[in-house]
Amino acid sequence: MIIKLALRNILRNGRRSAITLTVIVFGAVGLILFGGYKARTFYGLRESTIHGRIGHMQVFKEGYARSQSAKPLDRGLDDVTSIRKEIERDRRVKMTAAQITLMGLVSNGDKSETFIATAVEPAKDHAMNSQRITSGTDLTDSESDAVMVGKGLAESMHVKPGDYLTIMTTTTSGSLNAMDVRVAGIFMTGVKEFDERAVKMPIAGAQLLLQTKKVEKLLVFLNNTDDTAAVHSAIATRMRGIEIKEWSQLAPFYHQVVALYNGIFGFLGIVVFAIVVFSVANTILMSVFERTREIGTLMAMGTTRGRLRAMFVAEGVGIGVIGGILGLAIGALLAMLINRGHVMLPPPPGYTVGYRLEIMMQPPVLITAFLVSFITATISSILPALKASRMKIVDALGHI
Amino acid sequence: MKRLLLALAIALPMYAGDGAAILAKVDAARNPLNSFSVDVALTSTSGSETESSRFRVYGKGSDRSVVEFVAPATEKGKFLLMLRDAMWIYMPATSRPIRISPLQRLMGQASNGDVARTNFAVDYNATAVATEDDQWVLDLAAKDPSIAYARIRLWVDKKSSEPTRADFYVVSGKLIKRAHYAQHAQRVEIEDLLRTGNRTVMQFTNLAAHDNPEKMFTKDSLGKW
Amino acid sequence: MTSNHVIALTGVNKTYPLGRLKVRALTDINLSIGRGDFIALAGPSGSGKTTLLNLIGCIDKPDDGRIIVDDVDVTRIPLHRLASLRRDTLGFIFQTFNLIPVLTAYENIEYPLLLQNLPRRERDARVRRWLREVDIEAQAKQRPDQLSGGQRQRVAIARAMVTEPKLVLADEPTANLDSDTAAHILDLLAEINSRTNTTFVFSTHDPSLIARAERVVRIKDGRIAGQQTADSRQQEVA
Repeated sequence: MIIKLALRNILRNGRRSAITLTVIVFGAVGLILFGGYKARTFYGLRESTIHGRIGHMQVFKEGYARSQSAKPLDRGLDDVTSIRKEIERDRRVKMTAAQITLMGLVSNGDKSETFIATAVEPAKDHAMNSQRITSGTDLTDSESDAVMVGKGLAESMHVKPGDYLTIMTTTTSGSLNAMDVRVAGIFMTGVKEFDERAVKMPIAGAQLLLQTKKVEKLLVFLNNTDDTAAVHSAIATRMRGIEIKEWSQLAPFYHQVVALYNGIFGFLGIVVFAIVVFSVANTILMSVFERTREIGTLMAMGTTRGRLRAMFVAEGVGIGVIGGILGLAIGALLAMLINRGHVMLPPPPGYTVGYRLEIMMQPPVLITAFLVSFITATISSILPALKASRMKIVDALGHI
Repeated sequence: MKRLLLALAIALPMYAGDGAAILAKVDAARNPLNSFSVDVALTSTSGSETESSRFRVYGKGSDRSVVEFVAPATEKGKFLLMLRDAMWIYMPATSRPIRISPLQRLMGQASNGDVARTNFAVDYNATAVATEDDQWVLDLAAKDPSIAYARIRLWVDKKSSEPTRADFYVVSGKLIKRAHYAQHAQRVEIEDLLRTGNRTVMQFTNLAAHDNPEKMFTKDSLGKW
Repeated sequence: MTSNHVIALTGVNKTYPLGRLKVRALTDINLSIGRGDFIALAGPSGSGKTTLLNLIGCIDKPDDGRIIVDDVDVTRIPLHRLASLRRDTLGFIFQTFNLIPVLTAYENIEYPLLLQNLPRRERDARVRRWLREVDIEAQAKQRPDQLSGGQRQRVAIARAMVTEPKLVLADEPTANLDSDTAAHILDLLAEINSRTNTTFVFSTHDPSLIARAERVVRIKDGRIAGQQTADSRQQEVA
């Protein structure tokens, strides 16, 4: 009966209900579109960070994190071959890639700059597709003294593919070493400050330069990001002498972006929430005023205050449910249209290429949008309902 | 035949053992004192630009020294502690000294400091000795993998046992620096072979015995005494 | 302690604020009404008859005095706690009909039974009975805005009676009806009263309603100016 009354009262003033529904729908659609955009951004950033740079997890020698040695690879992984064979036995693991990061000086004969090099296994690095090669070629397994140079560094060293540079660093034992290298290619990561210092070289060449057989770490790539925690504990229980870091511990930029976006959208969400609350509350309050005499009659006939409150809250709930469902449908439809539309966005800060606008629709986002509409509308109806139930019968009956 | 025998007779005793003896004399010629102080005037040329600076170096033994920056005014008050395998810098504005990593020692004057204080006899073995005009040419191999330069080729004047030239090689065999010694090793000119046009000239004066207490060569006392 | 009286008021006073003034609506009211009575509270507008009706109907509170409704002393009980008493014991008919616009005639009549939580079959039986009694079966599925004034008031009467109350209160029930319709409504009310022995109390200044009343209580300036029974009035006329 209360439901029947609530629905009929919602339909009673069609135009006003339509406007209220529109506000709720706007709120729900906003949440779905922003939430979906945010989700897509997080997903994209996460996957590109993992696949292009850090892997799903990284395996180090035990004690790596705490070591304070000034000597490179003092806590490096020895016996990489057997470690990676053991890890790759897990079917959830797609591949492993050994890496060394090192710093030093690079010179073109006239001047020198500091560089930060990532020494990689060329075939694995190729699979990672972490940089855009703007000229020249990728690294190959056969040439251990060819390197790729970041665009900014290539410019400051005045080199192009085919030219030679000398790189210098200290070995694992602390003596100096230097190597002539051929510039195979020039790359861009999209981060300008990085490209001004970056070098990519074959791990074999780095090991020669550093006079070692060790590697710094082993990147582990999985088929599915959701397996990360499970594979982590599987490896940790099976193997000794290593320590593991998951991608989440290695991606501070990702977490900063997540925090920033969540902050922004949280704030927007509160604004939307406030607007919807005031709008719905206003509508129901107007309805309460218009039905003053009716309320008096109901109370005279013996309707309790609680029941009267329930009647108005039910109207709020009804509008919330209808608005929520409509908002869900329209939001989903708009998201699909946007995704088909191939809208391009400008490059984010620090990057040089733009990307496609895509709304990711995940159950949590959709459920949240519906719940927020529903709860907001319900909350909005509470004060008007209270007001209705507190009316004095005689005054209400005498109201025009 | 006779010539060959004569050559052998001269060459054989010159191997290794004599190499060590020559090295010992070279080091003695460069710096005969155990505990000393010396003034250094350094001129650094990079292409057409020239920079000058002055230091006072306090040394003990072959592996400890403290460098006091005297000039220019911007550098005055800084101290450098050079131990066998560590280097520390102290700057007046900071509260404690900062360790210089091996990587940072690749750059700037720290690398030249490494070259200038190379102790041939202590850190290197003579693997071959040859003759070139009136000089010995010694091939030196570092005794320890932690020594900065893996190999050195050293030219020594036979009569004075003073070094005239040294080529510094890294592990890969690449030639990185070249030093020319003059004025009884009081003047050292270092060429940076990776950067053409870069050279540093160090002039040593007022080398004198100086009582340097052991505790002076710790990082905690750097800049305090 | 049961009595014949459905209502008993003793020494009732009521004032209400009008701006910064206090108006004395009722002064020293003493009144008892018996089971099955058909009573009119008569007086000019502003006399306090509506206020008296409200007090009897337990939708307003007196300042002093005592009110007993169906053997329950309601004087000090807060109005919202009297909801179940109103629901079970009283019925209301209003000048402006006051039907719920979004409900059909059937549903309007059904509403009080839903408040009583009667099972469906019982509700349906009673609603159908009273649709028949007030002769609007044909309009059962129509909403108030599709009904004439007379039809609406019939629905209101059915709604008031469907809970089988002891007492029905009607505030100017014929004021918004034309004379023909009003007459029919009066006939209906009288007929229900005699058949069910339900007590009816009206507040009115409609002379034909006053004439039909068994007992007339005259109210003037907030006091009971006099009471007359039907017989004595007839005698007056004669």
